Amino acid sequence: MANNHLTGIGSESKQLATWYFTFAAILFGAQLLFGLVAAIQYVMPGFLFELLDFSVARMLHINALVVWMVFAMFGSVYWLLPDETGIETIGIKIGKLLYWVFVAAIVVVVLVYLFVQVGPADETSIWFIHEGREYIEAPRWADFGIVVVALGFVANLFLTGTAGNRSGIVTVLMADMIAFAGLYLAGMFFTDNISVDQYWWWWVIHLWVEATWEVYVGAIAAYGLITMIGAHRKVVEMWLWIEVAMLFGSGILGIGHHYFWIGTPEYWWEIGALFSALEPLPLVAMFIHVLYDWGKTQGAQDATGVEVSVINNKPAFTWFVLNAFGNFLGAGIWGFFHTLPQVNLYTHGTQFTSAHGHLAFFGAYATILIGMMYIAVQGTNGIKVMKHTKSSLWAVSMICGGVMGMTVALTVAGYVQVLVSRAQMGATWAGYFDGQSGMWFAQAMDWRLVMGAVTFLGFLFLAKDLLSTGKNPVHER
Amino acid sequence: MIEEVVMRQDIALDDFLPIFISSSLVLVFGGFYVGIYTAVKVKLLKKWTMPIAYIFWMLTAYCLYLMGSLMHVGEFTAKALVVAAIGLFLLPHAVYFMQHQVHEENEH
Repeated sequence: MANNHLTGIGSESKQLATWYFTFAAILFGAQLLFGLVAAIQYVMPGFLFELLDFSVARMLHINALVVWMVFAMFGSVYWLLPDETGIETIGIKIGKLLYWVFVAAIVVVVLVYLFVQVGPADETSIWFIHEGREYIEAPRWADFGIVVVALGFVANLFLTGTAGNRSGIVTVLMADMIAFAGLYLAGMFFTDNISVDQYWWWWVIHLWVEATWEVYVGAIAAYGLITMIGAHRKVVEMWLWIEVAMLFGSGILGIGHHYFWIGTPEYWWEIGALFSALEPLPLVAMFIHVLYDWGKTQGAQDATGVEVSVINNKPAFTWFVLNAFGNFLGAGIWGFFHTLPQVNLYTHGTQFTSAHGHLAFFGAYATILIGMMYIAVQGTNGIKVMKHTKSSLWAVSMICGGVMGMTVALTVAGYVQVLVSRAQMGATWAGYFDGQSGMWFAQAMDWRLVMGAVTFLGFLFLAKDLLSTGKNPVHER
Repeated sequence: MIEEVVMRQDIALDDFLPIFISSSLVLVFGGFYVGIYTAVKVKLLKKWTMPIAYIFWMLTAYCLYLMGSLMHVGEFTAKALVVAAIGLFLLPHAVYFMQHQVHEENEH
């Protein structure tokens, strides 16, 4: 079944998708802004002291990251459902109501983070301020709200998938989103044993980003390849199933690399080492997949004697290709070089982790979700062939250059920490501070700030382009 | 239970940079291997370039060996790295075979 993605107008599901994308883009901007504040505080520690401390800026930075991606993921599913199933999303009214519940909950949570910041460190904090778990710090009342919204979203997906044409992409998404929503429950309860708490917390973080989110990316990439270059559905879907098997096969037990040093049994060293060594393989495979389908489809077009590009949305396709490459680079390379326990003993908790986090979240997820936003802009404006504009090129260059620059800077900083704080001074208290006071570390943090600013400027170009490109006469209609 | 501790030997200070570089090159060379292999198969590159792909796989395997040696990995991790190297070798062949079969079934 060919996708009919150009008919965004008139579909309530696609309208809801654009709402999700809009709020995701706003949160993306907030994420970068608070990241900039935190980066400035590394260079000027007194900046906004006792007004917006590093701990708060960082919390907002990384929570906004997760939430904008979840919003964009939900939006992408609402966008593709009518195309894949051939029917309007069932329960769309509930979907719209839940969207507003979700937005209201996030706004209140952000305001509490900003203006209340800390609680009395008892149950009140957990219920009403924040839970103190990195990435998923929403207070418990918001946790329940998120669970309700996620269940509503999964119900919409299942009802539509079972009533309409249940393609391979929809089937994978149905299974994946159940796991995605269910895993969130593992991060909701509190234990006063930090090892047990971290054990379950990693179920959410690792099994989201290195299992369910990666499978989600595989499904979205499959949809994108069919939609943008007309790749053969059977080939794409066959490949999607292989990716699912490989990603879950290596990703689930790859969780072992988070259990090296948190007080879990030592057998996790072996499990973590084995499955972490295998984790890059599906990422390499996904890279081949995009190359293969692109080469094959373009080759078939060229064989007809008419040499035109098979890509009908250049900005989106650029972001999708960057996803294939960025996933491999950020999650694969930057992940692999500190994943084995022998070297992770030295790199754990240094800026290496931060370098990997920046490039992996960007390369594996931000890129493809931005690509989906461009597909939505194309669909809602009835554009047949969407081309790059100056703003889209500036956006892609500055955001990619900025994130890559930040990653390199953080890697240099992490290397200094490994040598000084860990190898030379044996992870002592004095070593912790000596590692951060050297010239190389300080200059790396300066460069991280500069590159963060470049990324933010790129975001402004991206926002401008997403808002204006739909009416640009450069596109074929 | 000191004898069961995995970190039997510290990593020498001068070995950290070669470790990070060699582990990065594992995937960089691995990427070239699968990239060139795929490009030849979809006729973006000429057939004579295929041996270059295999040279890149050999470089990948060497970097894995170098990385493992410098890290003083244990017997189990060494086996895991060998499995990863073989997996990377077989991966593009298996993928191409399956993709090709599906294309054949659907286009002819």
